[in-house]
Amino acid sequence: MSDGGRPALPETTSRRGLLVGLALGLPVIGYGVRGALVDAGATHPPELARWIVGTAVVHDLVLVPAALGIAGAARRLTPPRAWPPVRVGLIASGVLGLVAWPFVRGYGDDPTNPSLFPRDYAGGLGAALVVVWLAVALWLSGRQARQFHLRRHARPPETRAVAHPDGPGEEPSREG
Amino acid sequence: MTAPARALGRSDLHEVRSAAWLGLALGLAFGTCFLTGLWSHLAQHPPSWFTYPARPAGLYRITQGVHVASGTAAIPLLLAKLWVVHPHLFAWPPARSLLHGVERLALVPLVGGGLFLVVSGTLNLAHWYPWSFFFPRAHFWAAWLTIGALVVHVGAKAAATRDAVRRTPRGAPGVVRTTAGDRRAFLGGVAATSLGLVVATAGGTLPALDRVSVLAQRRRGVGPQGVPVNKSAASARVVDAARDPGYRLTVEGAVGRRLTLGLDDLRALPPREAELPIACVEGWSASARWRGVPVRDLLALAGAAPGAEATVESLQPSGLYRAADLNADHAADPDTLLALELDGEPLDIDHGFPVRLIGPNRPGVMQTKWVSRVVVREERPA
Repeated sequence: MSDGGRPALPETTSRRGLLVGLALGLPVIGYGVRGALVDAGATHPPELARWIVGTAVVHDLVLVPAALGIAGAARRLTPPRAWPPVRVGLIASGVLGLVAWPFVRGYGDDPTNPSLFPRDYAGGLGAALVVVWLAVALWLSGRQARQFHLRRHARPPETRAVAHPDGPGEEPSREG
Repeated sequence: MTAPARALGRSDLHEVRSAAWLGLALGLAFGTCFLTGLWSHLAQHPPSWFTYPARPAGLYRITQGVHVASGTAAIPLLLAKLWVVHPHLFAWPPARSLLHGVERLALVPLVGGGLFLVVSGTLNLAHWYPWSFFFPRAHFWAAWLTIGALVVHVGAKAAATRDAVRRTPRGAPGVVRTTAGDRRAFLGGVAATSLGLVVATAGGTLPALDRVSVLAQRRRGVGPQGVPVNKSAASARVVDAARDPGYRLTVEGAVGRRLTLGLDDLRALPPREAELPIACVEGWSASARWRGVPVRDLLALAGAAPGAEATVESLQPSGLYRAADLNADHAADPDTLLALELDGEPLDIDHGFPVRLIGPNRPGVMQTKWVSRVVVREERPA
């Protein structure tokens, strides 16, 4: 059932491993599904299924395209050498924003319980973002300094192999 | 680079080494989270073959702190992992063979389940429940589903992962070096984000982090008598019953004589003091000095058989946590108290005035507040 000579499984999938995984994993999946169904009064299976599939769909069709859009725009505005630190800054900011959001909005607040959510979460998120971007700036300036150092001490191009000890002569092989 | 990644014409991160490293980290985080979650489930719903121990006293605060921290750490790892493999989502044809179709189908519970677990867990920390199911049960069964799918996935990818993390970078200078540096920056950044997120949220577990845990659900020392509260008396609708001067505690069931004790009767019994943590399923914990009557003394006074178990019931009119079981181990522990005082003062009503249960190594939801009745059993209920 392979198509046009392609193997029946991706090169990263081990056939034997997959079969062993299915033999061990399917009963566990079955245990979870059966548990949710038996416990239907508490788990509300149709709604739970909607949540499990829904989070994946929202992730794939909303979160990833949004991240792509933001990353694409930011990458155009960022010098190539600065991109790796900036990308990490964006990842950290995005994750912090997502996790902090329900706390900042206070959806779960209980006015009768002052020990719950006693912090200024908007301020906390702001402080965390400042820390993230300070770290990015520090990282960038470190890279900049290293580049400057390399350029000052660089000798003519034929000795570049010093900076790339792998040396030439091998086939370019990109992974993945 | 895979064909789909090339087709999308994007970064070099969509490759097997990033996926492998992130997969390993994620497997560790999810595995830890699953085991500690299972432990908490066993504490609350012990099967007949298992006795949840009363010692060490601080064990539950550690396992549950680790549960929440490892789940939190998994968030950036999971998002990064899905990002790295995302181009494969659009691979065509969707399945190359029946077996490949089964492998891909098992990704639905893996990805959906994994995302659901971290989303629902985080929303539980935020006390926000935009669904009608009961969070702990849904979270518990979804965890089995996800772990089962993870076993399938690990089976399929273990060999490739091992190869990918072992392989030393080869190839032309420039290309591979840049890619490797890029990947290191990306993976390092994701790891730092993961660690940073734990630091930003774990202050409720680790007091040293209290000041920097800007997103923690709790704050050290904030709460009635300086101790946080999970559910207030007002929200449990027990204020009037708890303040009723006619309050009585009854000890009944498998006893030689039924006891009915007022607050003064309880205060007249020989007290015991214990330093014990309140450890919430949501990860925070706080130690305090509790003073009250050991449950085992009360059971002895009522003439219960040695090795008896008990159910401790609250004045709460309803709620799944209005009663909690004490197994023989917990009932016999000298530090399992019906507490009347916290740090030398009568309990605040939000801490369970007039009487609360507090014992070593118990989930916070099983440290019943506003106790009105102790029902003794000789054996564990079926």
